[in-house]
Amino acid sequence: MAISLEVRPDVGADFRAQSKSRTAGLVVGVIGLMLVMVALIGNIVAGNGSGADAARIGAWTFGLTTAGFGVLKAGIALTLVGILARLWFRVDGLKHALPALKPATTAPPVVRASEVGTPFGKAVVSNDEPKPLFIHRMAKSLWLPMLAMGVMAVLAGFIVSLVQAGEVRSDPQFATQLSAWVQGLQFLGEGFILSGISFLLGTILGSLRKGSGEVQKASGVTFKTLKMPVTGKLFVALMMAGMMLAIGQFVAYVAVSTLSDPQTIASYFAWLGPVREAALGLLLSGIVLALATIAKVLGFQFSRVTEIVSVGH
Amino acid sequence: MATAVANSSGFKVDVTDRGLSRNLPQRLGKALWLPMLAMAVMAFPAGVILGAVRADAIATGGSESTIAALGHAIPAVNFIGFASVFAAITFAIGRILGEFRVGGGRVQEATHAKVKTLKMPATGKAMIVGMMMAMMTIVAAVVLHFVAASSIAGGSTYALNHSEQWSFWLEGGRRAGIGLYLLSITLGLASIVEVVRFQAIRIHELPGESGTVRAA
Repeated sequence: MAISLEVRPDVGADFRAQSKSRTAGLVVGVIGLMLVMVALIGNIVAGNGSGADAARIGAWTFGLTTAGFGVLKAGIALTLVGILARLWFRVDGLKHALPALKPATTAPPVVRASEVGTPFGKAVVSNDEPKPLFIHRMAKSLWLPMLAMGVMAVLAGFIVSLVQAGEVRSDPQFATQLSAWVQGLQFLGEGFILSGISFLLGTILGSLRKGSGEVQKASGVTFKTLKMPVTGKLFVALMMAGMMLAIGQFVAYVAVSTLSDPQTIASYFAWLGPVREAALGLLLSGIVLALATIAKVLGFQFSRVTEIVSVGH
Repeated sequence: MATAVANSSGFKVDVTDRGLSRNLPQRLGKALWLPMLAMAVMAFPAGVILGAVRADAIATGGSESTIAALGHAIPAVNFIGFASVFAAITFAIGRILGEFRVGGGRVQEATHAKVKTLKMPATGKAMIVGMMMAMMTIVAAVVLHFVAASSIAGGSTYALNHSEQWSFWLEGGRRAGIGLYLLSITLGLASIVEVVRFQAIRIHELPGESGTVRAA
């Protein structure tokens, strides 16, 4: 069965029904939090232990916590899929209702596409339905592969952390090498998952653009489309920077796993820790900007629908 | 403005003559998402710089107390970044919910129908509680990291001897805070799903209500 990455519900699907993605997202999120709490108990025990015991527990709790974060983020992605599907129901509802709600007036014809200022930023007025932007097409194609790769990398890292925990006593040097792999793999996975979430947000922005075109077409009015806000452009830049840094830290950890001098390894670990977290910070900052962009686009669209209902064009 | 609470298509709604404005969390969301983001953007590079300083201290055989103190200061700075960026995400979700509330009200008002506004779903309330708990957990861990760092830097042998133990405990605590934040974000997004479901249903009702039908 082919998976529609646009997540558009079938024609005739029940728009009143509860969202299954929402329920699944919440359940997966709670499971993720439980994994993190198990790791918290492990950390408390590790703090009371010493030497190899603490290192052994520290190894698997690190892997488990990061896996828990991966599961929680997968829950977020599932809930976003629910939002995407619901937004299409909203588009279908507007296509059905708006022609009946607007006054029977016609807009002056648009000779050629032009830009107008709105309280939400510049918008394009044209006779043509807005085409999807490159970033929207890319986001629609990539959100699922990114999520899948991310979940696999995080789980692979968790398995390696279990092996590492078993090697702490018998072969400490090998355990250190494995520790580099765990950190690199799991934070690469986290980066992929956050990129998947970013692409899902991009897909939502694409569906808002496409849906807005469909609604205005069904209402027989000229097309007004908000130009990409600055926050949208910054979102793409931050996401790309974060992804590159996440890949970079993975490569660096793999390189560190080949070293043997404990002092050199400890030195590399000391700066790679904040770097890998900065990679996630960049991706998360991009997500903030994507959400802000969605808020702005929604504000514009509500204002446009109100305009159509009030003025008729 | 007359306000009544009613059930509409299985939802609890406020019924008013005019659209409602943003509620307090949504106003906070609109005002605070950007300052929080700015704080995060400053914290992460600071963490990277401190990380480089600590790496240099390890590589060049720096003092044990400096290395241990930085070992507490770095996660503290990084987790100021995480607490800020997750707060920014939660506030941005609040801002989106505010757009739905205000925009949905304005559209209904324009059709001259009664304005129905969804009451805050349980997931929305849980998001606020979860976010506060997460923020408090992370801030507590950050403060304790700074206390540990300053004690070690101040020459406390006791603090130096317990540095690793405290690191384990605080690591667990701050990660639990992140977990709570992530669940709060899921709850906020779940609220958006519910709001959009309500609005999709409400849109279908509008043409049949009052004398709003103007042209077919």
